[in-house]
Amino acid sequence: MAELTTTKLNAESHLLLDQPLLRIPFELSRKNMKTAQRYVERERDQILALLQSTAKDSLNSSSSSSSSSSSDSNLTLESLDSMISRMQGLKRKLEGLHEEEMRIHRASRARIAHLQDLFDVQSLVDVKYDEWSRIRLSRLLVDYLLRSDYSSSAAYLAAEKGIEDLVDVDAFVQCHKIEKSLREGHRTNEALAWCAENRQNLKKAGSALEFELRLQQYIELVRQGNTGGGYGSGGGDVGKLREATGHAKRYLASSGDMELLGRAAGLLAFEIGTEVEPYKSLYSDSRWDHLAHLFLTTHHTLYSLPSRPLLHIALSAGLSALKTPSCHSAYTSSSANASSSTTTVCPICSTELNELARNVPYAHHTKSIVENDPVVLPNGRIYGRERLNSYNEKVGTERGWVRDPVEGVGGERWREEQVRKVFIS
Amino acid sequence: MDDLNEHIELLEKKANLSKGIDDIQKTIDLLVTARAKVAAEPETAPMTLAKLQGPVEKSFDTAMNDLKKIYSGLGKYSKALDKKFKDKPLPTAENDALSSHPSLINRAIAMHLLREGQFSVASTFIEEANAHPPHPEPTPGTPNPYLEEAWEKDLVSGTFNSKQLQQQFAEMYHILHELRQQKNLAPAIAWARERSAVLEARGSNLEFELCQLQFVCLFSDGGMTDSDADGPLRAWAYARSEFGPFQHRYAREVQQLMGAMAYWQNIADSPYRRYFYNDSAWEEVATSFTREFCSLLGLSADSPLYIAATAGAIALPTLLKLQNIMKEKRTEWTTQNELPVEIPLPPSYHFHSIFVCPVSKEQSTDQNPPMMMPCGHVIAQESLDKLSKGARFKCPYCPGESHPRDAKKVFL
Repeated sequence: MAELTTTKLNAESHLLLDQPLLRIPFELSRKNMKTAQRYVERERDQILALLQSTAKDSLNSSSSSSSSSSSDSNLTLESLDSMISRMQGLKRKLEGLHEEEMRIHRASRARIAHLQDLFDVQSLVDVKYDEWSRIRLSRLLVDYLLRSDYSSSAAYLAAEKGIEDLVDVDAFVQCHKIEKSLREGHRTNEALAWCAENRQNLKKAGSALEFELRLQQYIELVRQGNTGGGYGSGGGDVGKLREATGHAKRYLASSGDMELLGRAAGLLAFEIGTEVEPYKSLYSDSRWDHLAHLFLTTHHTLYSLPSRPLLHIALSAGLSALKTPSCHSAYTSSSANASSSTTTVCPICSTELNELARNVPYAHHTKSIVENDPVVLPNGRIYGRERLNSYNEKVGTERGWVRDPVEGVGGERWREEQVRKVFIS
Repeated sequence: MDDLNEHIELLEKKANLSKGIDDIQKTIDLLVTARAKVAAEPETAPMTLAKLQGPVEKSFDTAMNDLKKIYSGLGKYSKALDKKFKDKPLPTAENDALSSHPSLINRAIAMHLLREGQFSVASTFIEEANAHPPHPEPTPGTPNPYLEEAWEKDLVSGTFNSKQLQQQFAEMYHILHELRQQKNLAPAIAWARERSAVLEARGSNLEFELCQLQFVCLFSDGGMTDSDADGPLRAWAYARSEFGPFQHRYAREVQQLMGAMAYWQNIADSPYRRYFYNDSAWEEVATSFTREFCSLLGLSADSPLYIAATAGAIALPTLLKLQNIMKEKRTEWTTQNELPVEIPLPPSYHFHSIFVCPVSKEQSTDQNPPMMMPCGHVIAQESLDKLSKGARFKCPYCPGESHPRDAKKVFL
């Protein structure tokens, strides 16, 4: 049988919520490295080609005649200069990436140190665990705020708590910028650029995002082509429609999804206000919401972020673990209430969480948990004898009498003999 | 963790872009030298350029190679990460009852920030949340989130009274600051005096504790070993003017404090030492003040969000294990209202007493409350009905016999 309570902390299994903490910086540094690689490769090809052609030109001119040798050598110098400035541009770009790289590594290191702190704590009742857990809560809150696109609050909170190294404000801000460009701006270019940056990983994950974006581009071209003239009236912009067909050939045909291609081709023949499915939904604005949502899920999967905020995950588990049937009971609980100073308010009963917890299941218990030496008052309320006595002492109840802490000094009082022992097993 | 740290160190120190940048600089140097040569001796240009091609290509290849080192360093780090989190899948929120109430979560966060004293973050947040109200998402637990109730609209429509709450917490922090940093009891005493009746009914000693500390402060102020009786005299005057209302309820404590007057020259060796040399006294009053303050607002003393998130993190490993077992056995848990496993939490996370019927092993609820038989044993209502079938029956735990109508509903 499981133990009722535990104070032991198993750091290794405790890290369930913390995987994204290290995954995000890793993905960011991988992306950073890929960008550097792309830059170097591109410049390598260009510079080498340029160098070769310059050498060839210079060889040709020197062998043909020497009349225009000065202008030729000027040409050579010019092309060398442009190569040098290209290379300096590359160097600047790499230096920028290097700075970013070191920043990411510093953050990773800070995060590993933060997780390591947990391994140095043995007990859940240790003050150090309390501190660690408060930092974690701030992290979870920042994560929640970032996901909800409350980025100023998120950055502010992170700064106040001094945990900037432990949260990824920039990554989320970028992500929401792209999401908004889809949802509100109805633009695909930002999202497509993002796809290009992450092409390999997206391919590995079998993501449909890029295809969906290309399809949307096609739909937009058709929409432009079909504006201004109904079917048959010949008023449509045929050029646009032709462009759309070209676009489809280039980006969509390779998918091999014949049914979808058929639908896409059919779209050409339907005007915008059509009531015919599936063309109506292809034209629909709700496709942008769908794209925005798809982008978010793709982004989160790529960065190993759970689809729901970490705060939700922690809270749903926590609310259930703490909730008891008394938390939403019609009767005041004797053991946790706001009416006397001998009890503390239970967090689930507190205003903040009470309504949120209404829909979660309550914790399972196999054994009663009651105070030592429970006694019952004539009104049916059960208290630990010690707490009852200390309350009555504090409110100055007359000797030989007792009052119910929930009813307070204005309530009924009973003779001490009326307090009975009660057996709870 | 050490393993991960080593990998990061390697990436930070060696496998980074600085080498690649050096290679690029070398390439630039090659080009610059060649350019100088061509400028000086134009006739050698074809030769110089031809000779340049090999080294430039090579230098690019070195740069690419250095990038590959980063790639492999990252690859190793990624493997180490995989190993670290192998048995720790990202938790799926299958029973997420929260997505359907985002405004409630927002309210909880706003209150959390306020009670933590993060007033400016809180107001930024409330502004942002009001400008972009969240969209509820349906979840299996609450399939229809759009039926918002009045309390949920609080935050959305901006009627969530954050101003008032903020004022209250600002007052709390002001008083705490005066207590802890300035050792100034006056604001706390004023607060307690205003709520004297309420505090007394709750059985709180706060007001008296504060005044007692004030007395001790005045007493010690003049210096205790000094022959100067200034401090004790002022304390005496304070006691005469302020302790009147406490005479009745705290007669004993007041007597003790007065008794200490007799020892004013040598308190440290007197029986009253404990009143005057108590280092934690300030922290104790501060804690009890915080608790009373929050309780009067109907709030728990520590942030519920903090307690719940921490309890959640403690519970997650157990819930994950459960999820895996259920998946393996392809079962689903049948009692929607109750978690199927017990979650071990530290004792400080138990707030309510719990009654589990010893007969049915079920927790008591409003519908199935605990009933005490005349012998003092308690079982759940349903167990009582089953055992008695409406007639006299024997208590399952002692020889006592009773009629079910003699059983009494009790409250824990």
